[in-house]
Amino acid sequence: MTLLAVGLSLVLVAGVLARLLEQRPGAADRIFRWGTLAGCLTGMAGTISFFGLPEAASSAAGLGAAYGLDPLSAWFTAVFLGVGGTIAVYGTHYMARERPERRVGSAHLLLAVLLIALTGVVTARTIVAFLAAWEVMAIAAWLLVIFDREHADVRRAGLVYLILTHLSTIALFGMFAAWGGGTGAGTFAELAAASAQDRIPVALVAMLGLIGFGIKAGVVPGHIWLPGAHAAAPSHISALLSGVMLKVGIYGLLRMVTLLGPLPVWWGWLVLLLGLLTAVMGVLWALAQHDLKRLLAYHSVENIGIILLGLGLGVLGSAYHQPAVALLGMTGALLHTVNHSLFKSLLFFGAGAVQRVAGTREIDRLGGLARMMPRTAGAFLIASLAIVGLPPLNGFISEWLIFRGLLEAGGTTGALRMASVAAAGLALAGALALACFTKLHGVLFLGSPRAVPALGGGAERGLVAPQLVLAAVCIAIGGLPFLVLPAAVRVASGVLHGVGAAADVTAVAGAATTISLAVLALLVLGLIVWRLRAVSRAAEMVRAEVTWSGAFPTTTSRVQYTASSYAASLLSVFGPLSGSQQVIGPMGLQVHVADPVLDRIAQPTWGRVREAALKLRRIQTGRIVWYLVYVISALLGLLLYLWLGSV
Amino acid sequence: MSQVPVFPILALLTVLIVAPALPGIANRTKSALTGRRGAPVLQLYWDLAKLWRKGVVYSRTTTFIFRLGPIVLLAATLLAAALLPLDGRRALLSFPGDLVAFAGLLGLGRFVMALAAMDTGSSFEGMGASREVTVASFAEPALFLCFTVLVLATGQVDLAGMYGLPLSAAWPLAAPSLVLAAGSLFIVTLAETCRVPVDDPLTHLELTMIHEVMVLDHSGPDLALILYAGALKMTLFAALVAGVLLPRASQPPGLAMAALLLGLAVVAVAIGVVESVMSRLRLNRVPQLLIAASALAGFALILLLR
Repeated sequence: MTLLAVGLSLVLVAGVLARLLEQRPGAADRIFRWGTLAGCLTGMAGTISFFGLPEAASSAAGLGAAYGLDPLSAWFTAVFLGVGGTIAVYGTHYMARERPERRVGSAHLLLAVLLIALTGVVTARTIVAFLAAWEVMAIAAWLLVIFDREHADVRRAGLVYLILTHLSTIALFGMFAAWGGGTGAGTFAELAAASAQDRIPVALVAMLGLIGFGIKAGVVPGHIWLPGAHAAAPSHISALLSGVMLKVGIYGLLRMVTLLGPLPVWWGWLVLLLGLLTAVMGVLWALAQHDLKRLLAYHSVENIGIILLGLGLGVLGSAYHQPAVALLGMTGALLHTVNHSLFKSLLFFGAGAVQRVAGTREIDRLGGLARMMPRTAGAFLIASLAIVGLPPLNGFISEWLIFRGLLEAGGTTGALRMASVAAAGLALAGALALACFTKLHGVLFLGSPRAVPALGGGAERGLVAPQLVLAAVCIAIGGLPFLVLPAAVRVASGVLHGVGAAADVTAVAGAATTISLAVLALLVLGLIVWRLRAVSRAAEMVRAEVTWSGAFPTTTSRVQYTASSYAASLLSVFGPLSGSQQVIGPMGLQVHVADPVLDRIAQPTWGRVREAALKLRRIQTGRIVWYLVYVISALLGLLLYLWLGSV
Repeated sequence: MSQVPVFPILALLTVLIVAPALPGIANRTKSALTGRRGAPVLQLYWDLAKLWRKGVVYSRTTTFIFRLGPIVLLAATLLAAALLPLDGRRALLSFPGDLVAFAGLLGLGRFVMALAAMDTGSSFEGMGASREVTVASFAEPALFLCFTVLVLATGQVDLAGMYGLPLSAAWPLAAPSLVLAAGSLFIVTLAETCRVPVDDPLTHLELTMIHEVMVLDHSGPDLALILYAGALKMTLFAALVAGVLLPRASQPPGLAMAALLLGLAVVAVAIGVVESVMSRLRLNRVPQLLIAASALAGFALILLLR
């Protein structure tokens, strides 16, 4: 805990100095970069001791024990600070080009505050401490989202985010009121005690929590703030929102599960179904996007769905007394949280580099960037493979755990067997993700350049190293899962109140070595095939030609398949569900995208609410006598109420 | 781990050797039924040998991904083969939930090949890649539903268990479900191996192709790797179908091996028969066929969940 406090102080000092030294950009950037990195690493070091100990161990210190660490908090803190450190390094390079028109120092200070607030949320031990950190986080993130506030769409995205984040906060206020209101509980320990004594409306608390944390995490239909905000923010902030801040919602749900004790079965099924819906719809909507960052944002929705699926399975497994299923689901959810933080931040780093080099986020105007920025293309490829959940990368490990949990649920008895059907839904999401990322990587980096002449020339400088670090971690977790699985299983077991015998814990972590073996086998097979290929006669008989184009001379790069045409055949199967509309015009295929929830449901509903409110405006006559009438009738009404109550 | 897994290794080697014969059997069946002489059953072996000796042409547009594609495809398909219990008892590599890895490895192959297609900057190949991932998006849920049927019927979550002794024991109890699942798996096989009615490997027009047009720019040994990986994938799916209908775990090893070869041949003939009696579907009908396959497996699941 002390190390964590020291680390966070370092982050804060670095942020403040970056703001104060605005006049000396070089020094400010260096101080912020290395100060934040050092602070994050120090903070991470403070969490490591929690992964080896039995789950009961926890420590609380500072600020009247308002903040403390236990394995669950430590798990999230480590991820937040680890990814946060790379984001700070990337961010200084990324933002340096915005000087001197913008106050880059303010962005750095806000980033530092946001990192501290995020850590505060996952380490809070009292209701007030939690909500305070929550609100600081929400506001700091909002200020960062509207950093480019001279654009109208950025302001609109900021407004939608602000509304949704406060809906979330209201739901959380309601949750804590329903939970602790009757008992006067103020700390999490007291909340847990109140739950253990069955004195709280569990259903209400669980629903309000699901709404509040669900909106923050981006669970459909609460995802509507997410694509706009991610696209509007500077790229390293997008990485922070998607890779880190969404996970706060997941943490909240996990903490609630921990404190509430055994949850009703229907809640588990609800979370499972919501997860499935979120995963499939998220990736489907992602497929339709032609803005690079909006596409990635919708993919975060998909991944939150996958995490939720694991979380729901964990709750169901413990409700039906199947510890192995519960552990698999929960471990999968925890590990996917980490994995998504890693590869989604990496993807946003790549998107930022593309934006810097090519000057646009319009996927259909880009192409052939691999020649210009090979290292970004390589890192982006690794992240793409990981996010699709393909072996041998980290996304596969967590999706495998969740798949396995779903299938093991099928091997049990009773109603839990129904959960196994969800495996098909997860498979659909995975296959659609494959379509989506072959489209994205293929159109961005491969083929020949399209409309936009790339700026090139050193624009990528400084943006590559953080990408390589994250890519290396993705590869390490994918190839050597036995390094992280035992810790993940212990944290999961703690969330589920120590469910699962030692045998179950070993069983979950046990297959990890076989997977490493399989990854090794894949590498060896690849090398063998490569060597065979290299000794074939063809190795000396290589000819370079133009791409074969049906015996026509190659015309122009505009005949290439675009992102729109690549996704068109899949989207047309899903019709209006995909939220896209295909128009074939004289100059080619155009796909119009809308968010089915935001643009077809939320906005029209808001319009009707506004109309109704306008009708209500008639009571505002502006004449004093009417207001006196209102005040007096309200008073009389209250008196009547009191009198009725006393009789 | 104490003894060398002799039979799994032998079975894997057999499958690796006979794989190129399967497309030959399917094509020969088709030509026999349509009154033509057709190419020899072993034609693909000759094609592979010929391609291996040829030179390669690379497009100037391509990057290293184009060259990496076929290598990763074959390596992933080979590892997927090692996950299947081909001798009816054990797989070389087995762990709980390995069926996810099986599907994932085939997905890895598809991913790199789609990227290799996009790497050429050709509209034909982009079209092929787009169609391939579209078809796969609907085949994948059907495949997992079939696996789920097997999991529910046997109570096992690894391929060796699902296709092992528990499957023989499940047949008397769950015969209707298993038949439905086998039917569904067969449709998935047609889609995954690019056969009629999903794709036609013998078509001549690029605009009507799916898989063929995706690999249009590959030549020489690269094309050989792709063709061999395709034949192997067909063999693996045939083994999945045959394994459901013909559980071999209780037979002696020699007989199990013979049953496997027989099963592979029967599935290949069935593919050829399907190709002879129907034409390929219009592209926008293909998802409907695969959703029907999912529905079949879904019914099988409902029968088991009763």
